[in-house]
Amino acid sequence: MRRVSRLGSEARLGWTLVAPALAVIALIAIFPLGWTFWESLHLHELRMPWLGKPFIGLANYVEIAKDPRFWAALGHTAFFTVVSISLELLIGLFLALAMNRVFRGRGFVRAAVLVPWAIPTVVAALLWRFIFESQGGIVNALMIKAGFLDQPMVWFIEASTAWVPVILADVWKTTPFVALLLLAGLQNIDLSLYEAAAVDGANAWWQLRHITLPLLKPAILVTLIFRTLDGFRVFDLIYVLTGGGPGTSTEPVALYTFNALLQNLRFGYGSALSVVIFVITFALAMFYVRGLGVRLGGEE
Amino acid sequence: MNLRASLAPLAFCLACSRAAPSNETVLTFSGSALGAEGTLVAKQLKRFMQLNPGIRVELQRTPDDASQRHQLYVQWLNARVGNPSILQLDVVWTPEFAAAGWVLPLDRYEPEKSKFFPATITANTWAGQLYALPWFADVGLLYRRTDLVPNEPSSLEEVVADAKRETTKRGGPRYGIVFQGARYEGLITGFVEYLGAFGARIIDDSGEVVVNRPEAVRALEFMRDELYGSKVAPLEVLTWHEEEARFAFQNGNAVFMRNWPYPVAAMSDTAQSKVAGKFAVSPIPKSATAPNGHSTAALGGAQLAINAYTDHPEAAYKLIAYLTAPEQMLERAQAVGQYPTRFGLYDDPRLAGAISIPLESARRAIESATPRPVTPIYTELSEILQIELHRALVRQAEPKEALDAAAARINAVIDRTGMRKLMRARFAPPPQAPDTNGHGE
Repeated sequence: MRRVSRLGSEARLGWTLVAPALAVIALIAIFPLGWTFWESLHLHELRMPWLGKPFIGLANYVEIAKDPRFWAALGHTAFFTVVSISLELLIGLFLALAMNRVFRGRGFVRAAVLVPWAIPTVVAALLWRFIFESQGGIVNALMIKAGFLDQPMVWFIEASTAWVPVILADVWKTTPFVALLLLAGLQNIDLSLYEAAAVDGANAWWQLRHITLPLLKPAILVTLIFRTLDGFRVFDLIYVLTGGGPGTSTEPVALYTFNALLQNLRFGYGSALSVVIFVITFALAMFYVRGLGVRLGGEE
Repeated sequence: MNLRASLAPLAFCLACSRAAPSNETVLTFSGSALGAEGTLVAKQLKRFMQLNPGIRVELQRTPDDASQRHQLYVQWLNARVGNPSILQLDVVWTPEFAAAGWVLPLDRYEPEKSKFFPATITANTWAGQLYALPWFADVGLLYRRTDLVPNEPSSLEEVVADAKRETTKRGGPRYGIVFQGARYEGLITGFVEYLGAFGARIIDDSGEVVVNRPEAVRALEFMRDELYGSKVAPLEVLTWHEEEARFAFQNGNAVFMRNWPYPVAAMSDTAQSKVAGKFAVSPIPKSATAPNGHSTAALGGAQLAINAYTDHPEAAYKLIAYLTAPEQMLERAQAVGQYPTRFGLYDDPRLAGAISIPLESARRAIESATPRPVTPIYTELSEILQIELHRALVRQAEPKEALDAAAARINAVIDRTGMRKLMRARFAPPPQAPDTNGHGE
């Protein structure tokens, strides 16, 4: 940091110039956050005005800590995030490698791959719901024809099977996005490295492990940040596909928060939940950014 | 190119809606206003204005989806907005709005309480006062295929036996009984009917949570047995709402169906229905094995109440009284087939042509109607029960275990919200907000 005393007028000018931007950030990011935190320290139930709006300190947070439904929701969110992102990275990498090749119609393929990503999540979720519907759903029909099932199966009434359409839908929809990010990373890799490796007699597998993957690391980390944060806030997909059911077996934290805040209109408790989600996602983001920073530095 | 010309009427209209003559009372009405219902409401409001020259009524559109409308109302009322001056409430909202002080008690206008079905009045009464007038009623009905089961079953056990017999016959329908078993409000309405059939309840008259008593557990076990024991109900119903059940029944795939009255019209239409002329409705029967059981229908429907922040409560009541008068109710039944809440109308031959089932069946069903728990914490209670019932029905939990958990959590909400005393003494005055300036900000 430069010392203000030395560059007084210049620094002042600098601050003056960024002031509007800082004000906007404060207004749209920090102010609502502070407000939500303040709200979370109150008992505020919109539907029960007779309770007033007393200050209750951290009581909402204590309630969250003691709420098994919250912990279960956290578990579901983590499960969903880890499983779907692993699949997306794997398939996305494969797609990116394929699209990175020079072949005829490459432009068309790249555009076509993006179609699922372009479909609004709610619509995609509805499509997948129809696909997995017990009567007339394509999946059941195919599985019966192939002899895996004797009669239609009801996917949405058992926790283990209800996750299948949820994760498939997310993978289907988001893999193109992952593939595109990774493709951008791939195109930054200097082709002469491969040529040199080939001259030295390295096979394709060796090239992938020792050239592609290490050099792709920054792109992979960026993808991970985006996808983990998205996965952690998953809402619309599950809202439409399972509604969090059966029971609450597929309920993620965002859906639980929505329920508390907008269905039950428990503003205090719901705000506390929002703050908790914010803290978790922020911690995750910090973790990644730090990790990314270190590795980028060590990449040289 | 003709932008100016096309905008002119719009500008004119904006101007005219703003500039109201000062001697005119302006009311805003928010109610279901889609399609035929919208036309009807507009017609009735126009007539009301002709009869009451000093009052002008404006229609304020609100979402047709109940929970969205609820959320909107609550936000407005927290901000103490006086519009809409007349609120259309779902039957389970009245105690909540009453306890919050958002709607005005109606007793001082001396409504004709005794002319309405008692259950519809009970559902709108909180702390001894009537807060809304029932506009139209919805009740759970048992639909059956008359070509398969000609006589009305007298017990739930008979329903199961008939269903079993017909589905095991060659070429019989695929499903015995279809209902609404997804995890949503519809599951509670169905559950209330089974509870009544077994002589059980969710909350008793003294405000005690009794949903885990043995007779309630038996009701839930009976529901579960339909899915896994006798298997007369398909597991799919655990993901079904009203429409999925209707499709199954309408396509001739089910012997029995639990549903509201609305599908009658579509299912009587030979163009789209395979069961036109081959089905009948009756009240949902009681269980033959429960001595205290009684035929029970869940009560639904809409009520009209006065916004507590309106400047014109008298005029608002006038409109409510007009819309819930026999003539308007009859007209409503004729236009959109919704059931009147005044029992006297069921002797009126003009109603017979309006609702497509025999008046006698309709009247018996509404007489067997039971309100869902009349409590300001209904939404919470319902959410807890939805989850626990669904857990029991998908076999994540045993019925007793699920209902114990539900009871414990409902009791926790009652304690947290300070409702205990009020629910014990149902005739106590409504609660006073201890800190009234806390939420007006």
